[in-house]
Amino acid sequence: MREDYSESLSTDASVSKARLHSVLDTAVDGIVVMDDRARIILYNKACERLFGYSAEEVRGRNVKILMPEDYAERHDGYVRHYLDTGERRIIGIGREVRARHRDGTEFPIELSVGEAHTPEGRQFIGIMRDIRARKAVERRLAQAQAQLVNMTRINALDEMGAAIAHELNQPLTAIMLYLQAIKRKAAGIAGLDDTFASVIDKTVKEAERASQIIQRMRQFVEKRDPERKPVDVPQLLKECLELVSLGDISQEIQLSLDVEDGLPMLHADPVQIQQVVVNLMRNAMEAVKCAPFRAVKVSASKTDTHLVIAVRDSGPGVPPELVPGLFKPFSGSKRRGLGLGLAISKSLAQNHGGDLVVEPGGSEGGAVFQLKLPLLSTGEAPPAERADTN
Amino acid sequence: MTIHIVEDDPGVSDALALLLASVGHETATYPDAESFFEETPPGERDTVIVDLGLPGLTGIQLIRWVKGLKNQPKVIAISGQSSRAIDSLLDGDTPDVLLRKPLQEEALLQHL
Ligand SMILES: Nc1ncnc2c1ncn2[C@@H]1O[C@H](COP(=O)(O)OP(=O)(O)OP(=O)(O)O)[C@@H](O)[C@H]1O
Ligand SMILES: [Mg+2]
Repeated sequence: MREDYSESLSTDASVSKARLHSVLDTAVDGIVVMDDRARIILYNKACERLFGYSAEEVRGRNVKILMPEDYAERHDGYVRHYLDTGERRIIGIGREVRARHRDGTEFPIELSVGEAHTPEGRQFIGIMRDIRARKAVERRLAQAQAQLVNMTRINALDEMGAAIAHELNQPLTAIMLYLQAIKRKAAGIAGLDDTFASVIDKTVKEAERASQIIQRMRQFVEKRDPERKPVDVPQLLKECLELVSLGDISQEIQLSLDVEDGLPMLHADPVQIQQVVVNLMRNAMEAVKCAPFRAVKVSASKTDTHLVIAVRDSGPGVPPELVPGLFKPFSGSKRRGLGLGLAISKSLAQNHGGDLVVEPGGSEGGAVFQLKLPLLSTGEAPPAERADTN
Repeated sequence: MTIHIVEDDPGVSDALALLLASVGHETATYPDAESFFEETPPGERDTVIVDLGLPGLTGIQLIRWVKGLKNQPKVIAISGQSSRAIDSLLDGDTPDVLLRKPLQEEALLQHL
């Protein structure tokens, strides 16, 4: 029986070889067979499509031509290592690797390698699947996921922010009170080393900074309804200028105020309006820091329906890539900023039935931010509870 | 003239007592409203600093009780919660002073 069987094999050798080739060539995956010196013996149709070489071109050549340079350099070593030690790194395991097309482009493939002992010696069979499509899907999925995370992050900020602010407030409160107590104690000790007091001061400052971050997060999370009262805009803007110039110790930025005559009283929440203006001025002052000429100008004017407070600076303008998401939370480009300033400011403006808009500037000037607040028409009584018009 | 501190967070409570002692006040601390009620009621010249978010009996209940005393001490409420949460907690009741955490020394001392 056995003899019959082997006989039929040998007589049909050419038939089966033809059959093998047709099987190989209808395979969707790329199939390459190489000998123990990494020379290509067999290379199917799918490979021609995958790599751009024809079978005649590659037959007898080293498989390295199908690999990017960094793999190719190490391939001889890998083969030798396996032949010497028998230690399997890829055979029977399969993994994702990069392949190289004739035109030089690299693409990801899934490669499985098998081994066969033949009369002509050891041979290795590589089966390769193009996974570009899968990779593209994975990438799209990851992008969608990132967007989702971003969206839920903003929603979660409402709840998380409140919870975190509350939890962090306890230890922060304790830290600040302890520091203030020790500072008082230290002040009473004569001849105490100066560094002692200065380190406490610095620590208090850092704790206060942390608490300011929490308070700003809280402002954003809470968005309380405005407490409206008559506001004298020129006076309010003057206070804003004084406030921010405290932060500009070097006085290198030229701050100016230009208020149109005869502005009517505004019916608004002065604290919130001041918050917006100070936010805008801080941003402007940071923007001009590296400019050759440093100026920030605040102006107030009116239209028929609105009072407009504009903050313009001599900086480089808002980078174009930031413009689309500028008023969204976490849009900032600064290492230290939270990227919340403009998001908070816009929501405060809208709480007042107004809006905050930007002219990003750029080539020939800095950014201009305009805060537009609705004016009451003369004779109209201040409404107790005005529905937001926006 | 004692300042009664009713605060469940031991760090905040201890730090407050330490700071107030360092500016010369006499203090007493309580981890919750229940242990505050066990002691002699505060006098007119005393001050009660109470955290709104106490476990068990709330800060509000404590404030109401204090406001019902014949000789009312001054009440300073403190809270680390959001203003909205505080509003719903207070539900119309008002402490003499409401301070939000993190507490600043000046804000606190100006009311004592
Ligand atoms: N006047 C301006 N000129 C140029 N770029 C600006 C100007 N104002 C804002 N930007 C850009 O917009 C970004 C967002 O500003 P936003 O005030 O929202 O956040 P931030 O200043 O980074 O952080 P913070 O939360 O501390 O305010 C800034 O990081 C900055 O890159
Ligand atoms: Mg900012």
